[in-house]
Amino acid sequence: MTNKASRRNFLEAGSLGFLGLSLASYLKAAPAVGKGKANSVILFWLEGGPSHIDTWDPKRNSNFKPISTSLPGFQVSELLPKFAKNAHKFSVVRSMHTRGNDHPQATHYVITGHEVNPAMQFPSVGSIITKELGARNAVPPHVLVPNWDRGRQYEDYFRAAYLGGDYDPMCIPDPAKPDFQVTDLSLPKSVSQAAVEGRSAFLKVVDKQYRAMNKTAEHANLDAFTAQAWKMLLTPEVRSAFDLSGESDKTKDRYGRDSIGQSCLLARRLVEAGSRFVTAAGYHGTSWDTHSNNDVSHKDRLCPSLDRTLTALVDDLEERGLLDTTLVIAMGEFGRTPVINANLGRDHWPNCWSLALAGGGIARGAVVGASDDRGYNVTDRVVTMGDLYATVYKCLGIDWKKEIMSPIGRPIKIANSLDDVTGEPVKELLA
Amino acid sequence: MMKRPALGLLCGVAAASAATLKILPFESQLTGAGASQQLVAVLTADDGTERDVTGEVSWRVTPPALAALDAARVTARADGDARITATLAGAPAASAIVHIRESAKARPVTFAREIEAILTRQGCNSSACHGGVKGRGGLKLSAGALYPKDDFHWITEGGVYQVLTNEVKGARVPRIDRAAPEQSLLLTKPTGAVAHGGGQRFDKASADYRTIAEWIRAGAPFGDDSGRQPRLTGLDVLPPSLVLQNDAQHRLVVVGKFSDGSREDLTRQVIFSSNNGDVAVVNQSGVVMAKSLGETAILIRAAGAFASAGVGVTGPALSRYPSVPRGNFVDDAAFAKLRRFQMAPSELSSDGEFVRRVSLDLTGTLPPAARVREFAQSRAPRKREQVIDALLASPEFVDYWAFRFSDLFRVAIFANGLTPKFSQKYWEWIRANIESNRPYDEVARERLSAQGYGPASRHFIPYNQIGTAQDTMAEELRVFFGRRLDCAQCHNHPYESWSQDQFWGMAAFFGRLFKVGSIVIDHPVDMDWSSKDVDAKIELLHPRTKAPVRPALLDNSAIGIPDYGNPRRELARWMTRHPYFAEAAVNRIWGYFFGRGIVDPVDDFRSTNPPTHPELLAALADDFRQNGHDLRKLMKTITMSRTYQLSNRPNETNRRDVTNYARSLPRALDAEVLLDAVAVVTGVPEIFSTAVSEAGSVGQAPVGTRAINLKDPDMYYSRFLELYGRPNRGAVPERDTKPNLGQALHMLAGATYIGRLSGPGSRLATLLAAGASDARIQEEFYLAAFARAPSADEARDFTVIMATRTQDREAALREFIWALISSREFAENH
Repeated sequence: MTNKASRRNFLEAGSLGFLGLSLASYLKAAPAVGKGKANSVILFWLEGGPSHIDTWDPKRNSNFKPISTSLPGFQVSELLPKFAKNAHKFSVVRSMHTRGNDHPQATHYVITGHEVNPAMQFPSVGSIITKELGARNAVPPHVLVPNWDRGRQYEDYFRAAYLGGDYDPMCIPDPAKPDFQVTDLSLPKSVSQAAVEGRSAFLKVVDKQYRAMNKTAEHANLDAFTAQAWKMLLTPEVRSAFDLSGESDKTKDRYGRDSIGQSCLLARRLVEAGSRFVTAAGYHGTSWDTHSNNDVSHKDRLCPSLDRTLTALVDDLEERGLLDTTLVIAMGEFGRTPVINANLGRDHWPNCWSLALAGGGIARGAVVGASDDRGYNVTDRVVTMGDLYATVYKCLGIDWKKEIMSPIGRPIKIANSLDDVTGEPVKELLA
Repeated sequence: MMKRPALGLLCGVAAASAATLKILPFESQLTGAGASQQLVAVLTADDGTERDVTGEVSWRVTPPALAALDAARVTARADGDARITATLAGAPAASAIVHIRESAKARPVTFAREIEAILTRQGCNSSACHGGVKGRGGLKLSAGALYPKDDFHWITEGGVYQVLTNEVKGARVPRIDRAAPEQSLLLTKPTGAVAHGGGQRFDKASADYRTIAEWIRAGAPFGDDSGRQPRLTGLDVLPPSLVLQNDAQHRLVVVGKFSDGSREDLTRQVIFSSNNGDVAVVNQSGVVMAKSLGETAILIRAAGAFASAGVGVTGPALSRYPSVPRGNFVDDAAFAKLRRFQMAPSELSSDGEFVRRVSLDLTGTLPPAARVREFAQSRAPRKREQVIDALLASPEFVDYWAFRFSDLFRVAIFANGLTPKFSQKYWEWIRANIESNRPYDEVARERLSAQGYGPASRHFIPYNQIGTAQDTMAEELRVFFGRRLDCAQCHNHPYESWSQDQFWGMAAFFGRLFKVGSIVIDHPVDMDWSSKDVDAKIELLHPRTKAPVRPALLDNSAIGIPDYGNPRRELARWMTRHPYFAEAAVNRIWGYFFGRGIVDPVDDFRSTNPPTHPELLAALADDFRQNGHDLRKLMKTITMSRTYQLSNRPNETNRRDVTNYARSLPRALDAEVLLDAVAVVTGVPEIFSTAVSEAGSVGQAPVGTRAINLKDPDMYYSRFLELYGRPNRGAVPERDTKPNLGQALHMLAGATYIGRLSGPGSRLATLLAAGASDARIQEEFYLAAFARAPSADEARDFTVIMATRTQDREAALREFIWALISSREFAENH
């Protein structure tokens, strides 16, 4: 091999041989493909929990007016004017009924479909989908952007638990930051191609004796992952998927130049390149947790960015022909109390709340369920997390009735509804 | 697979004369008309191998009038004591005794014995069918007939079982029809006369059909309900374990033990299944057939009891079994099993291998190059013991085991709302116990009975942070009893004899809380209260019956507890004296030293997951108890054994073995230990920063802090530790050391591997500054990373590469260091 060879050629020339495996054997493991309409999901994560009556389920006890939308007879809060114009591209559920009255418990519940149980950990919906659909095009299949910077607890809820580290989300930094760079996804400039070859030459010397003696399944697995890692490091398309410099200023502006908008833009790039489940978690620090000054926060800080980024994302996906295969979910971990508290805030309300869906297999313009006149209780068509995820799985061609055996031999429903029953797809939501 | 020659050919005449023949069971009871007992004849050759010769021996009964013998099954004819004799050419005759009583008295059909036996043997109550958590098709039976009263209720009264409530859903349709017994669902379903999801189980001509029909005609009685009826208390499996050559067969006999001391053959009333059908299969007569080399267990389910028998399938006998020196009693059990399995242990480990392994296992720390050199040069006859003693007395030992137990005992700021103030006190308590080598039973007693604000009372933080009683109890049982009862929280355990009532009886020890004003507390100090001190008492409610639950021990014995006292002091005393306690402790510690427990996973003791070395487990537990639950002594016993000190270099007989400690098996280093090892080998310490708080401040652990010394590890974000499997202490930690893609990426491009190969203060910089040669540098790094010098081949290959890199020597050395810390030999303990 000459030094002129590109990294890509280097890879294709089979220099992975030093690890005792061929790229062909790695590529042979073709991923399973779902038979659904969608092949990827973007979860626009509204951390903290939006006030449903100030967004998608306007009530007279909201201080904001309802406005008409592009869907006859369907109104949303005046805080979502762009959404209103595009409402026909979305479906809305107004009858979510979930568990968990504080952020950790509720986040765990909506992300895994199960209540916290100290005896075991549950895989996240993203990990399940990633496992069921498999990776595409060497791009990390499960991504969470940006990573939490307040410790591990929240990230853990998005992990794969006993499904294994392969299905954990790759957690990457905030793409809106000027020094944005994805950890471990590119070789530092200090590591030249010669250095890569030098390393492998030394590794061959160092590892030869020991590996001759100890051949374990773990070694074989790590070798396969190493080959995959090289492929990711050396395939320009993978790095390009994480590189927002390819996006025009206009597009960046459209999504919003903050971590909320840029995370969603990156999510779009990633599903375009082949990711299966991307959580765009730009709302940091339980942003939507408006225990004080609910109205001011929703009006000035939260709804404008939600309105802007959500419609930009769906429009952009549609323009690129990706909307039919990409399912978008915009939700938080619960809704907020219909009554205003002493600090002009609204507190946690898992009893009845709303979310929005669009794209891959989801109907356009469905409005599912209803709440009472103040948004306290569901009055029509309770939708559980099990039902919601059954719907998502159906759109992806995954058998929602599936149960995965946990290490202690307990079958875990992938679409777990209330009272230990399996959820059912919400027919009204299906295209 | 090579077939082993017949025993006679192999051993010759002289060996045959030393063979012994025996009959199992040696003594049996036949009570009631038609009672019978299956017998097995076993021939033991002089090399210790055993063979089922039931079909080859001549059987005789004396006096012949007492019993009939057919196909090695003896059936009662008249009362008396009969002698059974088996003869085979080349071995002395063997005999057995059969006590025959009430041979003219027919035994009445009872629900618990006869009907439950049929429901078990036919698979009706297996956990995949009606014995599942929620039953199947509307009929719920207890798995393995563990709860005959409940089963009787569902069969005779009908109704559909609900998991979380005692209420019955829908119409009650009894499964029997006393007016028209033949129309009973209990008969029409299994015969297929009415559609049955489980298919046809038996036909109208079968004995099972007749038994059930007869029972219904008799009015479907439960039988003696007074509690005087003998209960099945356990099963004896004979022989309890088997070693078979490939393709050989061996019959198992199952004898039930009853509460009145009686015994009865249940071989035909149980279900046999193999844990691994590739190794051995079993038919429903209890005949085990070897399929391929390996080890598995035959599981046996009777109505009301489970048991298992270990089965090993071995290759041809070794022509000369090596004599292996013994280190201590650990080796007796481990080597005896290897001998039975015709596997020879590997050689003793080399000095370098041993010192690296024992340093990592006892202190989580690589031995410094100087210690490796010194150890290799020492001629002291007891130098291994000296190193073990030195490590056990080192500060690193305290660091490492404080870390280990902080993991197990879950020191975490995010678990149950601990704040650093509390979690650090808790950590200090653990560390002090390790430092003073406090007896483990005392540690357990303090933790189990701790209340209020004490450092040990991790669960019992005041206000609304108290963990739920059921979670706390399940965790304590998992930690101190090695048993997972969590399943029984919502329903009777599907495979084990843990009932939901037992679960909640135990949970109640953690469920009594007091209200003082608006504050809910467990207890302020370890003292008894009176009713005057509190405003209200909170009781734990049973989730099905909604009635308050009284604390009751796992063996169902209730204990007297003062109304306002601490119920857990008695619980702690009971638990730490229970045999489970020492067994679970030694098994857990053993697991740290060998990468797998004698029962594995280490906290999953159950009848369907038997120990690989029951005698070893018992011997270690006895020793632990006799030595006052001394953890360091236990670790010394383990590390002084030859079993622990074997080389990882396999030989032809043990290459495939992974469960019998025939050699040292490589184990991935835990994330924290690996990160510390990278830091010490490269000479570049890891910087641990606390996550950015909402106020924006960034904290940092002092430079040089090791990963195992982080008091509140979850305060420090570490990509490396996440990738390599640092557990979440929010639950009982389970470490995942399996490789993943993130690790591979991090190894190729991550800061841990790229950013610390050189630089000021690094090992490489220090060596270069001292003018070290390439060879010297290679040796220093090898000693630091692998505790050995490079082999001649490695030295030569290294020199060859370095000779081409004179232009960029330092870059080449960086690449070498990358390769070193990326190698398997480095990332594993072996």
